[in-house]
Amino acid sequence: MELIWFTCFALLLAGYFALEGFDLGVGLLLPVLGRSVSGRDRMVAAMAPFVLANEVWLVAVAGALFGVYPSLEGEVLFGLYPVVVAMLLSWILRDTGLWFRRRAEGAAWRGFWDLMITVGSLGLSFGWGVALYAAATGFGSSLLNPVGLMLGVVVTLLFAFHGWTFLAWRSPDLAGATRSGRALAVSGAVAALPAVGVLLGSLPYLLDHTAPAATLNVLSVMALPFAPIVVAAQVWVWRTFRPGKNAIRIPSFF
Amino acid sequence: MEALELARLQFAVTGSLHFLFVVLTLGLAPLVAIMHTRWVRAGKPLHERLTRFWGQIYVINYALGVVTGLVMEFQFGLSWSGLSHYAGDVFGAPLAMETLVAFFLESTFLGLWIFGWGRLPKRAHLACIWLVTLTAYASAFFIMAANSFLQNPAGALVRGDHMELVDIGALFTNKTLIFSFPHVIGAGLFTGAMVLVGASAYQLRRRTSEVEFFTKSLRTGVTMASIGIFLTVGFGYAQFAGIQEGKFKGDSGAVPLGIMLEVGQWLALVVLFLMLPLIRFLPRWRWTHPLLMLMTPLPFVLAIMGWLAREMGRQPWMIWEKLTVADAMTPGLTPPMITGSLVAFAAVLGLLALVDYVLIARVVRRGPRDLDLGAVREPALTY
Repeated sequence: MELIWFTCFALLLAGYFALEGFDLGVGLLLPVLGRSVSGRDRMVAAMAPFVLANEVWLVAVAGALFGVYPSLEGEVLFGLYPVVVAMLLSWILRDTGLWFRRRAEGAAWRGFWDLMITVGSLGLSFGWGVALYAAATGFGSSLLNPVGLMLGVVVTLLFAFHGWTFLAWRSPDLAGATRSGRALAVSGAVAALPAVGVLLGSLPYLLDHTAPAATLNVLSVMALPFAPIVVAAQVWVWRTFRPGKNAIRIPSFF
Repeated sequence: MEALELARLQFAVTGSLHFLFVVLTLGLAPLVAIMHTRWVRAGKPLHERLTRFWGQIYVINYALGVVTGLVMEFQFGLSWSGLSHYAGDVFGAPLAMETLVAFFLESTFLGLWIFGWGRLPKRAHLACIWLVTLTAYASAFFIMAANSFLQNPAGALVRGDHMELVDIGALFTNKTLIFSFPHVIGAGLFTGAMVLVGASAYQLRRRTSEVEFFTKSLRTGVTMASIGIFLTVGFGYAQFAGIQEGKFKGDSGAVPLGIMLEVGQWLALVVLFLMLPLIRFLPRWRWTHPLLMLMTPLPFVLAIMGWLAREMGRQPWMIWEKLTVADAMTPGLTPPMITGSLVAFAAVLGLLALVDYVLIARVVRRGPRDLDLGAVREPALTY
């Protein structure tokens, strides 16, 4: 049972990296590839239908942390206090950037929120590298450890590449190249590697700190039956917004 | 201030901000779903425009509900890790259900609803907004279940230094849950309906050209407001049967409770015995419109009062008679840490909340034209 929930937890975190990774990547690439307002509009429109279905994986990760590893929840989040606060602020700015950028007219308004999307995406990507390194070292090292900072840069670059691959898959003219769905899956797997590595490394520790059997049984009976519905909903998103003629609609809500 | 007071203040500020947006989400979701259903059934352009206009207000409001909710979820680990250490095995179960199932599906279906406009088959698109509504209510249920456990730790036993879940049925039939959940749902419906009433009154007062649109919206609002306040007051009083002994004895929770009861009763009288009987005339009686507009913020204020009463009345307990808030606070949390995050979250979220309300007000002022939700460029050419 502990192993089943470890797998669920690992899938959620890896899923977050592989899916939200390309949204953050597109956010990072906004000032690089989207030189004009309409260019950025199209980049945002390319990822827009996926964002709500992708970012929610991290909400689920945090919920699973509370449910499956309650004794670790505080340790992990408190051990990373400044990083978690900074990442939450980044996430908030990225999200409101998306929701607000088209809610009023004017180039300055949209430019400001596009900047917030990029800043937020950068804060989250970089923060993940720092957080993963701190978790891997048992929160013993300084958060400004050079290796941690370097991992922040690596994760940021991985997400940017994944974002570029996503654009090349969904709307090749935006990326200046065409990539297949398989290439997107590969870049997603690569983007998830740092998270999977840290999780596998801490497998024994996590198994030792799993919630008692009674709680896991309740979670299994209540949550697992819904897993097929959750997966089906995600598949529905990917089927509905797959590339093709008219894949990107302007105006898009985001 | 001590770290404990700061941590409590942070939870109160972010929690109140969160609920201001959540309470409107809970009310508007079913209203928009009903409008969308009428559109699919009757196929009239009026119903489509109603769905898009109130849907746009619903999703702009939703944005702040999400980002304030993120801070809520992570705050448990940042400031209150004592709670997860002591009762995480119990409290974690409803919280995990909310995030793993309810909110996960809600967010996915909302994305499909917003961006599936014109892409999904009509009925599948309609199903999305109903699924969003259903999962939003499931979310509210699990969160209320978690909160009710703090008020009355049913279904769990203390074993050694922590609590363990022994009876899941008791957790979800908690006496502080069964009436508080419909109370919150009623408050949500009332709030959403009063936003319809207030915004329509504003447009009608300004002699809008969209008379039919806002007459219909006003009447829908008054009808739903009547249902909402009836549920809120009924299940509000029913809660006193299951309340903890001594909860409001000379405590700070008594003041917000008094305000909520007093104002809530007057509102119920006005809505049920004036607005509902006069529903046919209200759209034409322009002198009533400023009064209706003035009533719009009241449900929001009362909702916050309700939470303050419930949560302050619980002090000094985090879990009633089991764990104090002082013991629940993360050991090692220092005033500078919590001050930094409090200032950052309060400033950023407060500012964004303000911007969000300005954006909603702009949509209300402009009326149902140039809406982003469901917009298609040059519709004449694509069809």
